[in-house]
Amino acid sequence: MPQDLAEVYRTTYRALVRFLYRKVWDAERAEDLAQEAFARALVHKPENARGWLFIVAANMARDDARRAARERRHLTLLKAEPQQGNSAAEEALEVESDRARVQAALDELSPRDREALLLWDSGLSYEEIAAQTGLARGAIGTTLSRARRRLAQAFEAGKSGEHVARG
Amino acid sequence: MSHVDDGTLHAYLDGELAPAEAQGVDAHLAQCPACRERLDVERALIARAGELLALAAPPERELPPFRAGHVKPPARAWWRVRQPLAWAATVVVALGIGTYLGTGLELLRKSETAADAEPVRPSALEAPLSSERARRESRVAVRGAARKPPAAQPAVPAPATPNRADDVAQQRDAPVAAHAEGATYPVPAPAPQAGVVSIDARRDVLKGAPITLDTARMLLGRDPFAVPGAPIRAVYRARELGYSAVVILEQTLDSSTVIEVVNRRRSPFALDEVVVAAAPADSLSARGRAQPGRARVVDTLAVAPAAKAAGRLAPYETRNWEQRRLDNLEIRISGPLPNDSLQKLLQLVQPVKP
Repeated sequence: MPQDLAEVYRTTYRALVRFLYRKVWDAERAEDLAQEAFARALVHKPENARGWLFIVAANMARDDARRAARERRHLTLLKAEPQQGNSAAEEALEVESDRARVQAALDELSPRDREALLLWDSGLSYEEIAAQTGLARGAIGTTLSRARRRLAQAFEAGKSGEHVARG
Repeated sequence: MSHVDDGTLHAYLDGELAPAEAQGVDAHLAQCPACRERLDVERALIARAGELLALAAPPERELPPFRAGHVKPPARAWWRVRQPLAWAATVVVALGIGTYLGTGLELLRKSETAADAEPVRPSALEAPLSSERARRESRVAVRGAARKPPAAQPAVPAPATPNRADDVAQQRDAPVAAHAEGATYPVPAPAPQAGVVSIDARRDVLKGAPITLDTARMLLGRDPFAVPGAPIRAVYRARELGYSAVVILEQTLDSSTVIEVVNRRRSPFALDEVVVAAAPADSLSARGRAQPGRARVVDTLAVAPAAKAAGRLAPYETRNWEQRRLDNLEIRISGPLPNDSLQKLLQLVQPVKP
């Protein structure tokens, strides 16, 4: 192997799951995709495994979104699965609504801004983000500043909108 | 110097400006109160964005087992053997199986015993999972420290970037490290050969949440296999690298005997080249035959004291298992039964119809 994939797995797996989760919004699916990405890395033995994994993961998430419509019925069934006891349910709801608001806020970002922000949050450097998004390295700071501002604004807007709606 | 734009401020706060640029920003901030104020605003914004993203994080879970194990030649090498030589290959395979059956058990027993008697060395993968976070936190800390008071701290070159570059360089300079790491695990499997990286299935699969049979069907894309006549006590989802779906059916044979029927679907991307170490006779099972007695009999009497002393005698290791391939699934039965019984059960498995 061109580099120690096991070490990359240990240091990058969680970041990759997080990155994928914010694209597919399903923890199980995100883990499946992350494992698939590593399984592919075992076969392809890429030079720079970390960057390669994020590129492959982004592509898989995109393909996954296309498939999602077809498999919606299945996903609904999966979600109908009882996940945990009732005691945790209320707390889960609270967490869930925050998560949903962040998801909605992320949806307001342009795809490129969102990608840069998610990659940064996964621990990639400006250099790596530039390589992956095709943006100039010098444009990453501007992209991230815009993405962060929009995310915060959209989240606040969603929150106050909800309060108004609730009366 | 004109005012610093937002993008530059973010790059500055992220510790991603080149040292010369960062010095320029420092110089400007030192004499521009307006930009110093904006710096605080942007710093708060970065923190806020980080908080929000943290709200949208998947639930923390245990890191699934993964180990780049020993290497094997790709199974498809066999198909490239030219016809005139094919008979020779068959003879070699037959001899190999004979030898394996004859001595394999003894060798296995020895290597297991030796392996378990060894003090347990924490593997790299089982090391604290928080290291990634620690690294990130230290990175953030470094970023923060380098960029706080612009006037008080002149010209500290962005320290995060070189660290990272080192990381990458280090990773690049570690060829075949996984192979070397494999040596820290006792693997009772064929000697390392050049070719393909495989994953050791001896590591337990990570058992997940209980699911219904319907979900199991969906995950596998077909009816899961089970031993007919034995009640299914529970169905679990599990994960294992190299497989796109793993489902475990727990069946009770009698009041004290519970077997696990593991249904595994290979990840479509790794079909040829990711080889599971516990299934070395890939070319055989690919033809639909049950695997030759892959009896991983653990001599419990011999192993138990050492393993107990090391505190790691997993229940799984006292169970035997047998495995075969059916259609696109690998079926494995494990339980507290002799291997020939498991082998018989394995021949009985039928799809569980709705």
